[in-house]
Amino acid sequence: MGMGLYVAQRVAWALVATFVMLSLTFGLLAVTPDAQQAQFAFQQAQEGASADEARETYQRVTGKDGPLFDRYKEYMIGMVTGDWGWSHTRSQPAIEAVADAYPYSLMYGIPATVLSVVAGIGIGLYSATHQYTKADYAGTFLAFFGVSIPNFWFGIMLILLFAVHLGWFPSYYDTSHGVWTLANAKQLVLPVIVLSTAAIASQMRYARAESLEYVHADFVKTARAKGASEWRVIRHIFRAASVPISTILVADILGLLFVASYLTEVVFQIPGLGLLSYRAITQNDTALVLATTLIPVFVAIVGNLVQDIAYTVLDPRIDYGDR
Amino acid sequence: MATDAKPSDDASFERVDWDALESEFGGLSRRQTAFLGAMAAFALGVAADVAVGGPLPLLGDPAPLDWLFRLTLLLGTFYVVLPLYDDPRMTRHYWRQFKRNTAAVISLGYLAVVFAVGTVGPTFLPRPELDLLARRQPPVFTSVAADVPTTCAGEVVNGMCHGTWQYPLGTNAQGHDMLHLLVFGMEVSMQVGLIATAIIVVVGTAVGTSAALFGGLVDEVSMRFVDLLLTVPTFFLFILIVYLYGGSLFLMILVFGLLSWGGVARLVRSEALQRSEEEYIRAAENAGASKAWILRRHVIPNVSNTVITAATLTIPFLILAEAGLSFLGLGDPTTFSWGQTIADGRGELAGAWWISTVPGVFLFFTVLAFNFLGDALRDALDPRSEV
Repeated sequence: MGMGLYVAQRVAWALVATFVMLSLTFGLLAVTPDAQQAQFAFQQAQEGASADEARETYQRVTGKDGPLFDRYKEYMIGMVTGDWGWSHTRSQPAIEAVADAYPYSLMYGIPATVLSVVAGIGIGLYSATHQYTKADYAGTFLAFFGVSIPNFWFGIMLILLFAVHLGWFPSYYDTSHGVWTLANAKQLVLPVIVLSTAAIASQMRYARAESLEYVHADFVKTARAKGASEWRVIRHIFRAASVPISTILVADILGLLFVASYLTEVVFQIPGLGLLSYRAITQNDTALVLATTLIPVFVAIVGNLVQDIAYTVLDPRIDYGDR
Repeated sequence: MATDAKPSDDASFERVDWDALESEFGGLSRRQTAFLGAMAAFALGVAADVAVGGPLPLLGDPAPLDWLFRLTLLLGTFYVVLPLYDDPRMTRHYWRQFKRNTAAVISLGYLAVVFAVGTVGPTFLPRPELDLLARRQPPVFTSVAADVPTTCAGEVVNGMCHGTWQYPLGTNAQGHDMLHLLVFGMEVSMQVGLIATAIIVVVGTAVGTSAALFGGLVDEVSMRFVDLLLTVPTFFLFILIVYLYGGSLFLMILVFGLLSWGGVARLVRSEALQRSEEEYIRAAENAGASKAWILRRHVIPNVSNTVITAATLTIPFLILAEAGLSFLGLGDPTTFSWGQTIADGRGELAGAWWISTVPGVFLFFTVLAFNFLGDALRDALDPRSEV
């Protein structure tokens, strides 16, 4: 199978996955009792209207009285054209609320990503080339620590130590500081540490495993025999291992960061996507909950697509025929 | 595991698989009889619970979750513990492999304690109840400013309230004893980890083997579905579903189990396809064995090591996911999950530092222990995956 066909196949698959996910969420929503409707019915009942009338009014206003297929069609068209529903707690379209929130997520998400990629690959390579030394064991321990520690609890412990006891950093995020101020950088230190710990750990594990495949490869032995410096040898290994290492970044690290940032934002009260979603959950704002949970899902689908394509472009040895 | 045939196995008289021979004469082997008996007793119990609707003699009043947990333990006994007991030689071999990893042995001991305490403890301990007089007592050997607890249970020296053995780990802002909360949290974590994993193993193995067995359309459709499950970040689906349908622990475990079997299914399928190329499968085919027989007698026992390893490594993810959801307030309000206790202590950091700290330490070590255990199992059971 040619590469063009393979890429087309992957793109088609991403579209199908998106379609299935959207249909699934519609199905979930369609069979769920609506919390807002119950609230509205309660209000109407207090004003003396009957529950049936209240339900009819609510369904007519929200367009829920139509046949199921029409509602499905409307929902799908809305999702595709960017009409993601109305957030009643924020009195703005859900998509706008998301657009307002995501810069805050990026503000600490990007430094955390860069840090975890650099540190993760660095430690992984070093561990692999120094297998079974003390440094390798320390690295492995760090990896176990990173994947095992519940990041929301880790955040709370950091707040307890560095904010409550030592007073070095603030315990809550304060939006009144400007983006490029020192105060803002300072209050992002703890979230970045929490977020990058788990990501460094999994990146490091993967980088170590991939590099180990090349540590005893013939070309590495040749380099050593020619008297290449340790640094040069590491570069040889990295060149070979970089393709699989860089592809894990796209989907896996992205997914990891999304999950971690969700809880981290709640702990540190950073008004990004995670906190927006959390507040929407506590206030029963279904449209906003849907928007904020679907975005990571779509990002993951696109990330997987990019990962698949990147792999074939970067590594000519890949066989497209089999999955 | 028991039938993991190795070329080096001695084929002495003691090694004859009497179970298999007995069952060939139309009857059932002892273990099969015992298993069917236990399953029948279980079904009878569930039926009685449904029919009576109230407390049962001997059994108390089990919730659906308790039944599911019992089923999990039953499956674990018949598919993990008994095979190990039946084959002491292989068990010793596994144990020798496993013993080399000290961290894993310690983890196993720790998890055994957590499992025992979490399973037995909640039946003896009273449910933690609101006790306004016992709010925010510090753990024993520590002290806090006397204005943090409502009334100090220990002695007050120089305006500092000292902890007592009455509350060895202190109490939270509702006056719940932290030690009791820990034990109830162990139950929740063990139930989430074990029941959901049992669902994953059963569904994953069923889908994986039938994809390999039937091939064609079944294979294509089921593996595409697995692709989808593995692409989507399941944590966000958990959030969405638990938000929409309310967070009962029963629903959470069901959702965790039914959305996380993709990895196991894919693994089982590829293993099963690989194994079906091997000589002993060919031999069985030539001897006239049916596909289903080969699957049950030769393929599933041989992929069980891979499945157990993969399953052990999904437990930490599930426990963390439940704790995370409970931390967000999406958990079951009627249980005392560790995540919930940590969330309760979030606003008390300045005064009562122990409320968030204590359950988090246990959560961390439980997850760490499962990770160590899974890693060691992979080394001991699965010599092919050398990482």
